[in-house]
Amino acid sequence: MQKLLLRLPYLLIATLVVAACSLAPPAPVDEPNTAAAADTEKIIYLGAAVSETGKFSREGKDTRQGYGVWLDWVNNEYGGIKVGDERYKVELIMYDDEGDPDTAARLVEKLINEDRVDFLLGPYSSFLTQSASAIAEKYDKIMIEGNGAAEPLFERGFQNLFAVLTPAVNYTRSALQLLSAQGARTVVIAYEDTAFPTSVADGAQRWAEEYGLEVLGIETYPVNVADVSGIMSKFKELEPDIFIGGGHFNDAVLFIRAAKELDFNPKAMVITVGPSNPKLIEEVGADSEYVIGPTQWEASMSYADEYFGTAAEYAARYENLWGEPPTYQAAESTATALALHIAIEQAASIDTDAVRTSLRNLDVVTFYGPINFDEKGRNAAKPMGAIQIQNGEILVVAPTNAAVSELNYPAPAWKDR
Amino acid sequence: MDQLLQALVSGLLLGGFYAVMVLGFSVIWGVMGVINLAHGEFLMIGAYLAWGMFRLFGLDPFASLVLILPLMFLVGYLLQIVLINRVVERPHLMTLLVTFGVSIALANLFKILFESDPRNVAVSYNGSVELAGITFPIVKTIIFVAALLIMLCLHLFLQRSRLGKSIRAAAQNKNAARIVGVDINRVYAITAGICIAVTAAAGAMLSPTQAIFPFMGPPFTLKAVTITALGGLGRIPGALMGGIILGIAEIFVATYVPGIGTNLGVATSFVLLVLILVVRPQGLLGGLRPLDAEAE
Amino acid sequence: MGAQGEQTETKIEGKEENGASSAEPAREPHRSRLRQRLTRPFGSWTGLTLWLLLLLLLAAYPYTGVSSLALLVGSQIFVLVTLASNWNLIGGLTGYVDFGHAVFFGIGAYVMGILVTRTPLLISPEWGFWQALPVSGVAAAIFALLIGLPTLRLKGPYFSIAMLGTFMAMREIARVLRPITGGGIGLNLPPILNRLGDYYLMLAVMGLVVALIWWIRRSEFGQSLIAIREDEVGAEMRGINTTLHKIVAFMIAAFFTGIVGGFWAWQNTFIDPDVVFIETRTVEMVMMSMLGGLGTVWGPPLGAVVIYFLQDLVWANLFGVHLLALGLLLVVMVLFLPEGILGTLGDRSSTSLGRLLGRVGKGS
Repeated sequence: MQKLLLRLPYLLIATLVVAACSLAPPAPVDEPNTAAAADTEKIIYLGAAVSETGKFSREGKDTRQGYGVWLDWVNNEYGGIKVGDERYKVELIMYDDEGDPDTAARLVEKLINEDRVDFLLGPYSSFLTQSASAIAEKYDKIMIEGNGAAEPLFERGFQNLFAVLTPAVNYTRSALQLLSAQGARTVVIAYEDTAFPTSVADGAQRWAEEYGLEVLGIETYPVNVADVSGIMSKFKELEPDIFIGGGHFNDAVLFIRAAKELDFNPKAMVITVGPSNPKLIEEVGADSEYVIGPTQWEASMSYADEYFGTAAEYAARYENLWGEPPTYQAAESTATALALHIAIEQAASIDTDAVRTSLRNLDVVTFYGPINFDEKGRNAAKPMGAIQIQNGEILVVAPTNAAVSELNYPAPAWKDR
Repeated sequence: MDQLLQALVSGLLLGGFYAVMVLGFSVIWGVMGVINLAHGEFLMIGAYLAWGMFRLFGLDPFASLVLILPLMFLVGYLLQIVLINRVVERPHLMTLLVTFGVSIALANLFKILFESDPRNVAVSYNGSVELAGITFPIVKTIIFVAALLIMLCLHLFLQRSRLGKSIRAAAQNKNAARIVGVDINRVYAITAGICIAVTAAAGAMLSPTQAIFPFMGPPFTLKAVTITALGGLGRIPGALMGGIILGIAEIFVATYVPGIGTNLGVATSFVLLVLILVVRPQGLLGGLRPLDAEAE
Repeated sequence: MGAQGEQTETKIEGKEENGASSAEPAREPHRSRLRQRLTRPFGSWTGLTLWLLLLLLLAAYPYTGVSSLALLVGSQIFVLVTLASNWNLIGGLTGYVDFGHAVFFGIGAYVMGILVTRTPLLISPEWGFWQALPVSGVAAAIFALLIGLPTLRLKGPYFSIAMLGTFMAMREIARVLRPITGGGIGLNLPPILNRLGDYYLMLAVMGLVVALIWWIRRSEFGQSLIAIREDEVGAEMRGINTTLHKIVAFMIAAFFTGIVGGFWAWQNTFIDPDVVFIETRTVEMVMMSMLGGLGTVWGPPLGAVVIYFLQDLVWANLFGVHLLALGLLLVVMVLFLPEGILGTLGDRSSTSLGRLLGRVGKGS
């Protein structure tokens, strides 16, 4: 018993160390430089948890760089956001969420309650946006995002979530409208059974009906599917005009390969994710010809604004800063920050309520396209573009005011290429 | 009828690939009792090697097997000597954890090297041939034939050659083999070399048919477990049969269940796995060792 | 004198057991010493006393005016400790290495999600949570009973793989049952976040689970579990109803994992098959138990805390390579630290810190 008493202090110290450690907040990835400029100039603090590592590292990088373009421009060129008569510099605090919802929750909590940011920018991916936006809503912080399009995000009645990208349900709208006008009559749909592709497929069904297309078959498949020949041979029997499919980039490769292997010849292949990425042509080669894909944005589109100029000028600026052309993920991230910027200027205040009202009423055209939020916070005003791969190039074919090329329809059979 | 025949052919072709994919996994398990959770990653490495050679030298993925097989044999041999031989006598949890650690490390190493952009090898002959109303995808048919050839070679090697006999001896009774003068560590290393080379070859052959990315491995590892459970440990005819059963089952469910067929096809393989383990743990062909005669 | 001492002791014994079949007769003296330690009047209570003290300190912690972030971090650590301890009960103590334990987490999460969003029976969302939480645990335990009856008959790696298969199958099934589970779209739970409440809830669950493991470890029941791990046939011959013991241990581990899953679903406000049925969650459980010391009471909690901080302090700064480092760490751990921190410290205490902690661990 005496021995026990002698050892108690050691044990207590050990447990206290564990206790103290276990409750210390995690170290930030990059420490905000809060002390330096506070007294001389006014600063708006923005925060974002965006993947730098983990499964979304590639898209997270685009998102970070997209925010970065706006940040660089607004501080160094534009001279800060105009709020009434004053100019506010912007400080953007970014952490790495590692693609993990627990980490993302912690970082958003930290951004709101320790870094005391004024506004939040969104993470990459629908599912991280789900948990992050719930925390933002709880603390009544505005979160504006450009990388989560799935429908369930906007079904929760949140007041503080705004998304500049075209909602997933509208992804295939332009393409279907165009194809229907060219004489297509029947359609089949295959989609990955996750939130975003499901929203796209639900929308595709709705728009197909709207444009008088008959849906002959709908099939789902799981993430990381290795073989889609079951789906494709079923569809081959149905002989549809249009095939709509996709979820991930790899699925695009699978669908094109399986269609050719099984000699399945739809007159148009619309693939949700992949065609607008030059990597598809690089990897799949000539078989990617005639493939149609929706796109949020392309540098060749004819949109322009007073801040970044035309889409092409934006692309040049981006390439100048980061040494690579912007993907649409990058452009929508810049547009996200820009929408917030415009809303703050129009509100002439950085008060959350004033900016929220201003976002509600926002109605502008940017280099990225029109931005006008509906009551759910979606940017319903923006039409989705459609591209087609023609002679190894990604060319915009819809909407008509942004198109640079005519649609090639119908696509020849695999044997005749 | 046409659809039935087509599904049968597609299932057979898929099954042939599964069979060659599972060989390395099944033999390593059978010979040294190691469940190699990094199996899928070696498949992935093979696919990346084929892609790299195609990009750099324009080498056809089937031709590049000549280079990939010896290279990956060396990798497997070294891995076994440096790592696995140290834990092969330890409880199975240790080997599971080591191979799992290797799996995470390899997948992320390749992610750092190649980013997660998917790759693909665009061979010129990836179309189809129609025969009696049934479509034969050319690449998959070649894979099927190559798979049969590889299996035949490995089978002959294990049955006829001296080295093959000592591998089988080590698998049946390690201590007896040691007594008659078999260098177990060397036999294990050669086994691992052969198995990993064959696995990488399967990956290389896969490269024209699907997207190659760093995290493609784990689903293949799990399918390998299912097929091994179906066909029995370390048995080549068993691997072929197990592969074909799974291939046909997946394609049939995908073809005949409307809407969610492909999803169910994937679930099928896992449900099948649990069922087989529970109902007939020695495998369908009786190749799994009796449970009580574990290495431990 | 402390409870840790016994674990260190059995751990070493366990290693010999699993390692090779040669040490058969040498085991007996070990075992009798172990029994002595177990029956010692005061010694084994030290651990529990300290645990209760620590819980009291942690319960007082929010009154020091901490931020909601610290509360969130706290509850996340409690979740990990609970999961690791649960896994340890079946994987470490009973020796059934469950490679699909996250299936119970997923079931708990889905039961919570479905009850809260799809049943009109609940009074209000806040009350719904409290009503659904025990159901999450019970559902997971029932599932453990159903799946455990056949799979726990399997030995060694076959059990591990059967559970992995169960886990993968359940993920696909959750995806296919779209009318109930929302399929790939997932379920949105009402976003009611209460960091303080979460903190205390998980503190209580963690306190209970670790104390329960401590109790099991020194009870007749726990000794039977260890006997099953060491030599299942022998245990059966000594008259232990092995099936019953295994099933009960499995159900307890599943129950609390299900509770944690339900809690997580509520806290994250969103679930879909890929978020809750995620392999890394099982991997975390295995690694934390491994690192701390398999089959010990205090090892898995220690391992959980260490891994959490490694993840945040170290790996977050190794941009992009932290998962590579994690894989290599796992390999290195198995090669050089197979008995975990507690086991190793108790074994060879060469450094002064090792001596200190080793002595603390050994007690007398």
